[in-house]
Amino acid sequence: MLIKTSERRRSRAKFAGKKTIESGDDRGRDGWDRRAFLKRSGVAAGALAALGNLPLGGVRKAEAGAPPPVGAAVTTRKNICTHCSVGCSVIAEVANGVWIGQEPDYESPINRGSHCCKGAAVRDDVLSQRRLRYPVKLVNGQWVRISWDQAVDEIGDKLLDIRQKSGPDSVYWLGSAKFTNEAAYLNRKLAAFWGTNNSDHQARICHSTTVTGVANTWGYGAMTNSYNDIRNSKTILVMGGNPAEAHPVSLQHILEGKELNRANMIVVDPRMTRTAAHATEYVRVRPGTHIATIYGMLWHIFENGWEDKEFLNQRVYGVDEVRKQVAKWTPKEVERVTGLPEAQVRHIAEIFAKEKPATLIWAMGQTQFTTGTANVRASCILLLATGNVGHAGGGANIFRGHTNVQGATDLGLDVTSLPLYYGLAEEAWRHWCRVWEVDYEWMSSRFPSKKLMETPGIPSTRWFDATLLPKEQISQPEPVQAMFIMGHGVNTITRMPEAVRGIEKLELLVVCDPYPTAWSVLSERKDGTYLLPACTSFEMDGSRTASNRSLQWGEKIVEPVFESKNDYETMYRFARKFGFADKMFKNIKVENNTPLAEDILREINRGGWSTGYCGQSPERLKAHMKNQAKFDLVTMRAPKDDPEVGGDYYGLPWPCWGTPEFKHPGTPLLYNTNLSIKEGGGTFRARFGVERVVKRKVMENGQEVEKEEHDNLLAEGSYSVGSEIKDGYPEFTLAVLKKLGWDKDLTAQEMEIIQRVNPANPDAVSWSLDLSGGIQRVSIEHGCSPYGNAKARMIAWNLPDPVPVHREPIYTPRPDLVADYPTLPDARQFRVPNIGFSVQKTAVDRGIVKQFPLILSSGRLVEYEGGGEETRSNKWLAELKQHMFIEINPADAGERGIKDGGWVWVTGAENSSRARMKALVTERVGRGVAWMPYHFAGWYEGADLRAKYPKGADPFVLGESVNTITTYGYDPATGMQEPKATLCQIRAA
Amino acid sequence: MTFLVRIRLATVIVLLLGLMLAVPAVAQKLGPDGAPNPTASGTSERDLLKQVPRAEGRIDIPDVKAAVLIQPAGRTWDYFHEVLLHWGGAAIILGTIGTLGLAYLVMGRLRITAGRSGQKITRFKAFERVSHWLTAVSFVILGLTGLNITFGKIVLLPVIGPEAFSDISQIAKYVHNFTSFSFVAGLLLIIVIFFRDNIPEKVDLDWIKQGGGFIKGKHAPASRFNPGEKAVYWLSLLAGISVSVSGFVLLFPFYGTNIADMQIAQGVHAVVAVLFVALILGHIYIGTLGMEGAFEAMGSGEVDLNWAKEHHDLWLARKLANEDRQTHASATPAE
Amino acid sequence: MARMKFLCDADRCIDCNACVTACKNENEVPWGINRRRVVTINDGKPGERSVSMACMHCTDAPCAAVCPVSCIYPTEDGIVLHSKDLCIGCGYCFYACPFGAPQYPKVGNFGSRGKMDKCTYCAGGGGAEAPGSAAEYEKYGSDRFGMGKLPLCAEMCSTKSLLAGDGDVIAQIYKERVLKRGYGSGAWGWMTAYHQDIEI
Repeated sequence: MLIKTSERRRSRAKFAGKKTIESGDDRGRDGWDRRAFLKRSGVAAGALAALGNLPLGGVRKAEAGAPPPVGAAVTTRKNICTHCSVGCSVIAEVANGVWIGQEPDYESPINRGSHCCKGAAVRDDVLSQRRLRYPVKLVNGQWVRISWDQAVDEIGDKLLDIRQKSGPDSVYWLGSAKFTNEAAYLNRKLAAFWGTNNSDHQARICHSTTVTGVANTWGYGAMTNSYNDIRNSKTILVMGGNPAEAHPVSLQHILEGKELNRANMIVVDPRMTRTAAHATEYVRVRPGTHIATIYGMLWHIFENGWEDKEFLNQRVYGVDEVRKQVAKWTPKEVERVTGLPEAQVRHIAEIFAKEKPATLIWAMGQTQFTTGTANVRASCILLLATGNVGHAGGGANIFRGHTNVQGATDLGLDVTSLPLYYGLAEEAWRHWCRVWEVDYEWMSSRFPSKKLMETPGIPSTRWFDATLLPKEQISQPEPVQAMFIMGHGVNTITRMPEAVRGIEKLELLVVCDPYPTAWSVLSERKDGTYLLPACTSFEMDGSRTASNRSLQWGEKIVEPVFESKNDYETMYRFARKFGFADKMFKNIKVENNTPLAEDILREINRGGWSTGYCGQSPERLKAHMKNQAKFDLVTMRAPKDDPEVGGDYYGLPWPCWGTPEFKHPGTPLLYNTNLSIKEGGGTFRARFGVERVVKRKVMENGQEVEKEEHDNLLAEGSYSVGSEIKDGYPEFTLAVLKKLGWDKDLTAQEMEIIQRVNPANPDAVSWSLDLSGGIQRVSIEHGCSPYGNAKARMIAWNLPDPVPVHREPIYTPRPDLVADYPTLPDARQFRVPNIGFSVQKTAVDRGIVKQFPLILSSGRLVEYEGGGEETRSNKWLAELKQHMFIEINPADAGERGIKDGGWVWVTGAENSSRARMKALVTERVGRGVAWMPYHFAGWYEGADLRAKYPKGADPFVLGESVNTITTYGYDPATGMQEPKATLCQIRAA
Repeated sequence: MTFLVRIRLATVIVLLLGLMLAVPAVAQKLGPDGAPNPTASGTSERDLLKQVPRAEGRIDIPDVKAAVLIQPAGRTWDYFHEVLLHWGGAAIILGTIGTLGLAYLVMGRLRITAGRSGQKITRFKAFERVSHWLTAVSFVILGLTGLNITFGKIVLLPVIGPEAFSDISQIAKYVHNFTSFSFVAGLLLIIVIFFRDNIPEKVDLDWIKQGGGFIKGKHAPASRFNPGEKAVYWLSLLAGISVSVSGFVLLFPFYGTNIADMQIAQGVHAVVAVLFVALILGHIYIGTLGMEGAFEAMGSGEVDLNWAKEHHDLWLARKLANEDRQTHASATPAE
Repeated sequence: MARMKFLCDADRCIDCNACVTACKNENEVPWGINRRRVVTINDGKPGERSVSMACMHCTDAPCAAVCPVSCIYPTEDGIVLHSKDLCIGCGYCFYACPFGAPQYPKVGNFGSRGKMDKCTYCAGGGGAEAPGSAAEYEKYGSDRFGMGKLPLCAEMCSTKSLLAGDGDVIAQIYKERVLKRGYGSGAWGWMTAYHQDIEI
C-alpha cells in the first residue's frame, strides 16, 4: 500500500506542470487563458468523447438510465438554466441518453461558466426521483395511474363539455415562464383557438406592472440595457431587488463593474440583503414607499438643478406636471412617509444625478404593490430626469424572474394581448389571422362575442375570485370552471385560503408540470383532478429570451424522462382532441405528434414585427450558440468579420428588425441614439401619437380662459446616428414612406405583400403589420426607427394615475397616512371588481394594525425558485434550506419571547389565516418588519400535507406558504397582487 | 515618445492614482450622511480573528458545527497532539519505565524481611479481586489501544505496513470504545469497595514521615492501605473519572459540545491517560516485580502473615482481633 | 512546481451556494455531507461578509499530522488527499482542521463515524484505485484534476469570488483586484492554511 501511494503521488505529479491557470480570471489574460489551456491539454469536447470510459459525474447514481458501458461516447449539449432570467448557459454531458455531468460554459458572454446553486444543480431537475412519472387522476381522493391517451380523452371531453355549457371563457389557460418562446406562443395560440383571452402566466405576479408602466413611458416594457452593460455604470442604484439571491450571476457583472469603475452601488431596500452587503451605501426604507422615495430624490434634483435639461427638452414629455407633483415632496414630508432623513435622500439623489452613467435596477420590490405600475413609472421618471436612458451604463435594468418570463410575456401569455404586444383590437386579431393563415371570421366565431374577443381576460391573481364570486359580478358569461395549468404554482399567488376554496369549486383541474405542485394537495378535492407529467425545459428544444432581450437556443439534453412529454406535444394532442390541430399547426411540421420548435419560431418571426422578433431565425440563434466565444463581454458584439455571426449582438436582443436575411444585429441597448438603427441603435417609440391635445387654463388679458393646446410628442432635435430625418418623426407606414419618397426602395415583392395585407388601403399598412418587412427595411436603410422617434412620456394619461402618486398599501402600518394617501377608489377591472379601497378603509376603521403590528414582506431565496416545487425536489438544493422560516428583528423577537430557530405561529389580517414555521431572528430586517420567502408549500395552516402527494412525488422539503398570510390588493392597471407589504402578527408556538 | 511608451506611462500614473485613492476608500467607513458603507466596513479576517478565537457565522444547513468558519485553534490542537503529547507522553511513560527499572536495579526486589511464615491470611475477597481485575484488564486494553492511537503510527505502522496497521487500529478503536464501559464499571466498584479503607488517617503521617520505611530501612506502620496505596486510589479515582468523562464526550462528539469543547476533551483525555498509565505502571511494579509477596494479595487473595506484619501491621492486628472475637463468639454460644 | 490553493474573495462572495451544489453535482456527494459550505459573518449587520469554505489543502496539513493511521497526505501539487481504505473514522482530523472540512457519513455515536470524506480538489481520491476509475469515483468523486480541469466549485462560482489554481497566480489576481477596487477583507484562511498572507 505504501508503495502504491507513492506511485500515486508520482502519477498526480504528471498533471501538476500544466496547472498554470486559475478559475476566477476576470477577463481572458495571457498565460492563464482557460480556453487556450483546455485546448492545450486536450480536454475539448472531442477529447472528452475519446475518454468515454471515464466515470464522469454521476454515472453510478444516474438511476434514470443505465450507466454508460465502457467506451460509450460522451456528448455535450447546451441549454439554458431555467431558474432566473440571466440566461446562463448550461453544458451537459450525456452518455447513452443519460445526463451524467455538467461543465462550465466559459464561452457564454452572459455567465462565463458561472452558476448559482440552482444552475449548478440543474442536472437533478431532470434526474430527480421526485418527478411525476406518469399521468394520474384523482378517483375518490386516491391518485390512480392512467395513460396519456386516456388523460387527453377524458380531459378533452370535459373541457369541450364546459365550453359547450358555459362558453370558452370558463376555461382558464394558465401558462408558464418556464415555457420556451415557442411553447409560450403555442399556449397563447391555443387559448386564441379555444376562444378566450383568459391566458396568463407568472409575469402577472412578477413584472406585469413593469411591462405596463415602462412601455407606457417609452415604448417597450423591458430591460433597456443588459446585465453585461452594468459594467459600464458609474452609479448602480438597486431599488426593490435582491439580485445577489434572485439573479446571482448578474452580480458578477455588477461587482466587476463596481470594482473596475469604482462605481457607487446604492441599495435601497427594507432588508439588509446579501446584495446590500456589497453596496457602497445601504438605505433602509419602509416597504411600499417607493414613489415617496423617488420624489424625495427628485425634489433635491430639481431644487439644485441637477436634472439633464437638454435631455428633458429633446426627448421627454410632461416634466412640468411631474415638477408640480414633486414639489409636494419636501424633505419633511418624505421623512414623514418613508422615514428617510433629508441628508441621506439628498446624498443618493446627488450621486444618481451627477455620477453618470447611472443605472436603476429593480425587480419585484417595486412591482408587487397596488401601486406597482406607478412605482416603475416613478423609476422611469427619475431615469429620464437625470438623462440616464438610452446609452451604455445607464438605463432601467429590470431583472425578470424566470428563464423565459421575458419571452413568455413577449409572446402574449397575457390577458391583454396577442403575441408581441399587438393587443386585442380587431386589427391585432386580423394581423395574427394573416400570420396563422386562418380566416378572421372563423376565429371570431370561436368567441362568444366580438366584445369578449377584444376584452382583456381575468388575471391569474384573480382566478379564484372569478371562480367564487357570484356570476353577476364577473363580466363574462359564466365563472371559471376549469383551470388548465402548465407550469405555474398556486402558492405564489396571494390569498391562498381563498384559492383553496376556489380549487374546491372547480369542475376540472388539470396540472401539467414535471412535479405535482401544491395544486394537487391543497384542497379536499376527491375527483376531477388530473396531473400530467411535463418534461423540464432541459428535455426540449427551443429558444428562451433572457432579461436583456437576448434569445438563446437551448438544445434538448435528454429525451423526456419517464412518461413525461414536452409542451409542444401536449398542446398538439389537445389541439387535435379539440379538432383544430390542422388549422393551428398549418405551417408547423409535426413529427411523432411533436411540433417542430424551429418551425414555430419561424412562424413567430413571420408575425413578430412589432417587437422585432422577426430577425431571430433558428439558424441565426443556433449559430450564436455555436459561436458564443466570439461575443465581447461588455458590448456583447461579435467582430464584424466573422463569417457566421459577424457584427451581431449576442442572442440578437429584440428588436432585431426585418427578416433574418436583413441581418439586423439586434438591439443591445434600447433607445440608444449613439448608434444607427442598423447597428442596434434606437429612439424612443412614437407609440402614443404625434401630439397630445390638452385643455389648459391660461391667463389671457387678466382673465383665466381654457385653451386647447397641441403638445408635440415627437423628439425635438434628437435623432439616432445616421438618421436622414434630423428630428422627431412618427411611426412608418406606407403612406409615410410615400411622403418621403422612400417607397421606391421597396421591392416589387414587398409591395405585393403590403398590398395583400390591406388591399383596401395599403397606405395604412404600418411597420408592424407589414408581413414583408419591407417598411422596416427601407426606414432602417434611411437611418430611421421603424416605430418613429418620439419623446418618452413622464405623464401617461391613459393610466389611473397619469403622474405617479404615492398611495399607502392596502394593509398599511401607517393608517395615519391613509387620509392623505388613500388607495384608488373601487372599480371593475379585468372582468372582476377591485374593492381595494373598501378593504383599506375597513382595515383602517377597524384598527387592524393594532392586532397585526408587523409589516410582512416576502421575497426570494437563492436556493429555490418560484413556487419551489422543482427546486425543493432537487436533492442538492433542498438540503440547503430545510425549513420554512420568517425573519424577525431581534427586538421584536425579544418582546415576543421568540428564539432563533424556534417555532412560531404567524397570523394574517384576512381569513383568520395562520401558518407555522421557524423563526430566523436577524437584523436583516428592521424593527417592525418581518419577511418570508415565498417558495414553500405542502404545509397548510400547521398541517403537513405530504401524504396527499402522489406516492413518491412529494418534494423533499415542504413548508408553509407565505401566501397563506398575504392579503387583498391589486394594481388597477395590471391586476398585480400586493405580497410585498401587508401586516401580520407572530407568536412563539 | 512613442505611442507605446505613452500608454505605459499613462498606465503607471493611473495605477499610482488608484493606489492613492485606495487608501482613503478603505478608511472611509461611513458615507457623507453618516450611513454605513457596507463595502468599506466589510469584516476582515485579520481583525475578526484578533477579537475571537473562532470565526463563526450563520449557515442554514442543520450541521451547526459547520457555522464555525475558521478556527486556528485546530493548528494549536495539532501542535499539542503531535508535539507536546508525543514528546511529553513518551517522556513520561518511558521515564516511568526507566525509573522503575533503575529502582529495580538499585533496590532489587523488596523481600519479606522475616521470610515467609507459611501462614496465610486473606487480604482481598473474591469480589474485591474481581472488581480489581475487571478494572485492571480494561485498563490495560484501553492503555494499549489508546497508546496505539497516539504512538502506533510511529512504532507499529513502519513494522507491519499501513493496511495491517489500519485494520488493527480500526479494531483497536472499537475495542477502546467498548472497553470503556467495563473500565467505568470496574472503576466505580473499586471506588465504592475501597472507599472506607482509603480515608486518610493520623497514622499515615507517621508512614509518610518515615518515608514509607524506605529511609530508615524499617517498616512503617500502616492500616489496610498505606498512604502510597491510598495515593494510588485517590489519583486513580481522579484520573479515572476525568478520563471517563472526557472519553464519553469523545464517544458522543458534538452532542451539546462544540469544537472547542471537543478539543479540550481530547486534550484532557490524552494527558490524564498518559499520567494514569505512568501511575499504574508504578502500581504494577510494586504489586509484582518490586515487592515479594504483594501480588498474591490480588492473585489468590491471601498474603503471608509476615508480609502483612511488615507492611500492614495495624490492619493485621485489627483483623486478627476481629477473627479472635468471632472465634470466641462461635465457640461460646450466646447465653 | 505549481501549488494548488483555494482563495475566497469575500468582497465578491454573495452566499449563492453555487460552489456547494457544484461540488455535490460533480462528486455525487450524499445528503448530509458538506464538503463545501458558505458561512456568513455578521449576518444582516454592517460588515456582513460571506465566505465559501472547504478543505484548504493546507501547508503542513494538521489533519494529516494528527491522523493516527497516516491516511492523509499531500500530493506534489499540494492537494491533500486521503485513503478511505485506511481511514478508521476516529474524527481527529476534524478537531485539527481549522476549516471544519472533514465530514463523516454517520452522526458518530460510539465512534462509528464511518470513513471520513472531504474535498479532494476534484482530484479523485488518495486510495489505491486507479486515477479516474469508476471505483475511485464511487469512493471519492470526480478526477477533474487528472483531466486538466480545476475544482468545479471554483469553476462555477457565480461572481468569480472563489478562485482555485496555482497559489501564486490566484494570489496575484486577488492582489490586483484589491488594488483596482481599493478594498479587501483579506484572503480568508490563508494565514492559517498556508502560513502566508497576501500583502497588498
